Amino acid sequence: MHPATSPTSVPDGRTYRTPLLRRRLLRGLLAAVVALPLVGAAAACGDGDDAASDGKVKLSIFWWGGEARAQLTEQALDLYTKKNPDVTFEKVWQANQGYFDKLATLTAGGNPPDIFQIDDNYLAEYAARNATLDLKKYQDSGDLDTSKFPPSLLQYGEVDGKLAGVAAGENTQGLVYNKTLLTKNGLPEPTTGMSWEEHIAWAEQVSKKTKVPGTQDPSADYKAFWVWLRQQGKDLYSGNELGFTAEDATKWFELWKGARDRGATPTPDVIHEGNATDITKQLVVTGKSATSWVWVNQMPELKKNTADELGVIAYPGDPSGQWARASMYWSVFRGSKHAEVAVDVINFLANDPEAVKLLGTDRGLPSNMDLRRVVSDDTTDPAMKQSIEVENKLAETFGEAPQVPIKGHSKVRSELTKAAENAQYGRATPAEAAAQFVEACKAAIAS
Amino acid sequence: MALTTAPDPTRRGTGSVRPPAPRGRIGRIRHGEGLAGYVFLSPWLIGLLAITAIPMLLSLYLSFTNYDILTPWSEVEWVGLANYERMFTNDPSWWHSVRVTLSFALIAVPLKLAAALGVALLLNRAWRGVGLFRGLFYLPSLLGGSVALAIVWVNMFNREGAFNSFLALFGIEGKPWVNDPDWALETLMVLAIWQFGAPMVIFLAGLKQVPTELYEAASVDGASKFRQFVNVTLPMLSPVIFFNLVLETINGFQGFTAAFVLSNGTGGPVDSTLMYTLNLYITGFTELQMGYASAMAWVFLIAIALITAVFFSTGRFWVHYSDGEDR
Repeated sequence: MHPATSPTSVPDGRTYRTPLLRRRLLRGLLAAVVALPLVGAAAACGDGDDAASDGKVKLSIFWWGGEARAQLTEQALDLYTKKNPDVTFEKVWQANQGYFDKLATLTAGGNPPDIFQIDDNYLAEYAARNATLDLKKYQDSGDLDTSKFPPSLLQYGEVDGKLAGVAAGENTQGLVYNKTLLTKNGLPEPTTGMSWEEHIAWAEQVSKKTKVPGTQDPSADYKAFWVWLRQQGKDLYSGNELGFTAEDATKWFELWKGARDRGATPTPDVIHEGNATDITKQLVVTGKSATSWVWVNQMPELKKNTADELGVIAYPGDPSGQWARASMYWSVFRGSKHAEVAVDVINFLANDPEAVKLLGTDRGLPSNMDLRRVVSDDTTDPAMKQSIEVENKLAETFGEAPQVPIKGHSKVRSELTKAAENAQYGRATPAEAAAQFVEACKAAIAS
Repeated sequence: MALTTAPDPTRRGTGSVRPPAPRGRIGRIRHGEGLAGYVFLSPWLIGLLAITAIPMLLSLYLSFTNYDILTPWSEVEWVGLANYERMFTNDPSWWHSVRVTLSFALIAVPLKLAAALGVALLLNRAWRGVGLFRGLFYLPSLLGGSVALAIVWVNMFNREGAFNSFLALFGIEGKPWVNDPDWALETLMVLAIWQFGAPMVIFLAGLKQVPTELYEAASVDGASKFRQFVNVTLPMLSPVIFFNLVLETINGFQGFTAAFVLSNGTGGPVDSTLMYTLNLYITGFTELQMGYASAMAWVFLIAIALITAVFFSTGRFWVHYSDGEDR
C-alpha cells in the first residue's frame, strides 16, 4: 500500500507524516478488530435466512465417505437441481473419522445441515434427542415413497415409533474368507448355515494346515455378538434395556476362549489389530487370518487391498439371525427451514431411477427393490456383483429387523471391546469379563 | 550455595536488581504507547475472551448440567453436582484414566527431563558440528504432537515393526508393543521421552548462563567434575529445571494425540492407553455426554493447578536465583 499513496512527497513529509499515518493505521486496526466479530455475526445471521422470498432454496447436506462416493452423490444432487432449478445444495463431506464429532458440533453450534447421513450407531442417539425430523407424516402423505422398500429395512429406521431416517442402502453382516488360500491347501470353503462350533472346527483345521489362523476371534465385535445373541433367542437391546444377561455374555466369551485355545484364531494382539474399523487392517486383507467379520458391502473395498480371491457368506449359525440392515440413513434435521424440500430430496435419492442408478451400490444395495434389480443387472464390478448376489441370497433367509441400537450404544460397544480383550489377553475369565461388561453397560444406558 | 556469593546481575537480568529508570520519562512513554499497546493487544484480548474465557465459563456451567450437545440450550437440565458425584463414586473408567495418566506423567516426565539435561550437558561444549547435533536432537520436538509421528511410532513398534527387526539381530524375540496392553502405554512413554528436544534447548540456554568463574573457582578448590555438577551446575540451573518440570508435567498430563492415534481413538488395547484427555474426548464427542465431559475437564484443570501449586510451594526449597535472594 505504501508506494501508491504519494511517492513524490515521501522524502520531505516523512518525519511529519509517520505519526499521523501510524495513528490512522491504528485507528483502522481498532475499527477492524471491533468490527470483525460483528461481520461474522452478521454473516451467520444471513446464512439461516436465505429462504428468500423468490422461492430459491439452498439445502445443506453432509455425509461421510471417500472421493468416489462424493462424486456420485454430487452428480445425483446436481441431477436434482437440474429437475428443480430452484433448489441448490451446499455439499459438505468428509472421511468417516471425525464425522460424528463434526455433526454434533455443528448441531450444538446451531448450524446443522438440513440433510445428513447417519448410521445405526447414532440414529437412536439423535432421534432420542429429537434432533431428527419424524418422517412418518411425509410417508403417510406420500411425499416420501417407501412402498418399494423391504418392510424390515424401513422398520430399521424407526425409533420410538418415529421414522428417524430412511435407509440409503441395505447391507448385512458377512464372513469374508480367503478363497485362494483354501484352494491352494485343498481345504473346503465354509458355507452359510454352519454352526458356530463347526465354524471354529473348520478354522482350527485351516490354522493347522496353512499356518494362517483360520478365523478372527470376533468376541469384541458387536455385530457378531449381536447375530449370535439373536440366534440364541435374545437380542442386543430390548426396549430401553439390555436384551441379554451376563450368562449370555459369558457363553459368548467362552465360545471364543475355546477357539483361541484350539488355535483357531490369531494371538490377542493380532485380533486387536483386526478390530480396527479401517478396512486396510482387516486380517483377511493383511494375510493374518483366513477370515474377517465384516459387512457384505465392504467386499469391493477389501478386494482392492488384496490380490487373493475372496468369498463371502453369512455369519455362522442360523442365517435368520441376520437382517436387512440399513448401511446408513438419510435424516432431516428437525429444525430445518426447508423440511419439505429436504424430504423430497431424500425421496429422490431413494426412488428416482436415474439417481439410484447413478449412486449404484456405494451406500449398500438400493433400498427400492425394483431399482435394486436394475442396478444389480447393470453392475460390472465382479466383487460388487458377488456381494449383491450374496446379499440377495441371504435376503431370503433374513429375520425381522431388531430395534435400532439405543442411546448409550457407543459406550456399550467400547465396553464389549474392553471386556472381550480382557478375556483375550487373559486378564479376566470369561465370566468375570462378562459380569463387568454387563454392569458397565447398564450404567452406560442409565446415564 | 557458597559458590554463588558473587553474582553478576547483568547476566540474569531480573528487574528487581536493576536500578529503576527515572519515573517521568517512563510515564510519558506509557501514556503515548498505552493506547497503541491495547490496540495491538486487542486481537489477542478478543481471542482470549471469545475463544478462551467465555467458552470456559460456559463449560463450567455445562458441567452442572446433563448437556449432550444435541439438545438445544433451552432444554438443558441443571443436575447440580451429579456429574462430579458420578465421576468420583460411580465411574471406574474415570478412575482408570486417572491412573493411566498419573503413571504416564510420573514415569515419562522425569525420564524426559533427565534425558534432556543429559544431552544438554553433552552438547554444551564447543566441539565441531555441535550445532548439527543440537538441531537433530531438537527435531523430534518440532514434530511435537503430530499425528504423523504417532503413526510412525505405531509402525515401528508393532509386531512386524523396525524395533523388533532390530531386536531380532540380537536374537531377541520382540513383542507386539503397541498392541499389548502391558506395553502400549510404555511405548507412548518412550515416544514422549524421545521428544526431549524442547526442554533440552532450554537447558542448554540455562547452562550457557552459568558463569565459568564458578567452575574455575570450584576446580581451584579441588572439586571433581561430579562435585562441580552437583554444587555448581544444578543450583545454578535450578530455575530452568523448575521451569521445565512445570511445563513438562503439564504437557505430560495433557498427552492426547499419540494415545488417540495409537489406539484408533479408543484408548485400547484394554484401556491401557486411556489417557485422561482421551477419555474426556470420548465421553464428550463419542458418547455425547458433554456436560459430564465438562465436569471432567474442570476436575482436570483444578488437579493441574494444584500440582503446579505444589511445585511452586516446594520450589523455594530447591530453586535458587543467582541474584542473591531466593524467591
